[in-house]
Amino acid sequence: MSDDTHDPESHELERRLRAALRPVNPREGFAAGVLARVAAEPARRPRAPAVASWLAFGLAASGVLGGLLAHEWQVRRIEQGREARRQLIEALRVTDEKLNLAYRVVNSRESAAPPEHAGA
Amino acid sequence: MAGERAAFGALVRSHQRLVYSLGLRMLADRHAAEDLAQEVFLQLYRNLAAVSSEAHLAFWLRKVTVHRAIDRLRREPRNELAPLEEAQLTAGEAHSGDPILERRLRSLLGLLPPAARAVVLLRYQEDLDPADIARTLGMPVNTVKSHLKRSLAELRERMTSTAGAPT
Repeated sequence: MSDDTHDPESHELERRLRAALRPVNPREGFAAGVLARVAAEPARRPRAPAVASWLAFGLAASGVLGGLLAHEWQVRRIEQGREARRQLIEALRVTDEKLNLAYRVVNSRESAAPPEHAGA
Repeated sequence: MAGERAAFGALVRSHQRLVYSLGLRMLADRHAAEDLAQEVFLQLYRNLAAVSSEAHLAFWLRKVTVHRAIDRLRREPRNELAPLEEAQLTAGEAHSGDPILERRLRSLLGLLPPAARAVVLLRYQEDLDPADIARTLGMPVNTVKSHLKRSLAELRERMTSTAGAPT
């Protein structure tokens, strides 16, 4: 095998090692012993295949992402509602000011005008 | 469940030789090897879903067997086999070569450190090349090669020094 042991002596040792290390069988009934130990094992839950694990992970990740997006959408909606209310209040304030101004103009004109039928 | 266990039984029978032989040569004790092999198959049963092919199964079995054996040897170091034990280990084996020489080689193998022993076994019992041994043991290929070189030199030296000694 080795790069620098290709001398006949090494070949002979390797050949002897292969012969000495021939695989051997266990005693009769070995497999039955293994199966007995397997039978004594508590019932094992079948392991979900890898695809199912990834699917479950994907679903969980989608759920989290969906939750985050829904939360973001909700926050934005509340912000939009606040902005709309602010604009409405501003519009009402402006309208109120204009109405007040118009009211004051009308009032001042009425007070400045000569009385009707005066001198008649 | 019964069908699953029957199929697993067939799987055990088709790979028991591989697992038991590795355990036996690593631990040099039939009972310890059988116990180790049973544990390996039990671990396989619990992790069947992780095995993707026949080639992967053989790789997985070799890897788990050798690592478990190395762990055991580190916890409970063993000495060289007694001649009687070695004779029992090989009883019933068909011999095509010199049984005394082969027995001596197996005994000398037991003197190698666990990692070096595992490398020699994977090379000469399992017929793996250094790259596959490196993958199985999780060590660099160069380390595998140096283990092989040193181990062969040590075995050769011991064989030479004990050539005249009675076995």
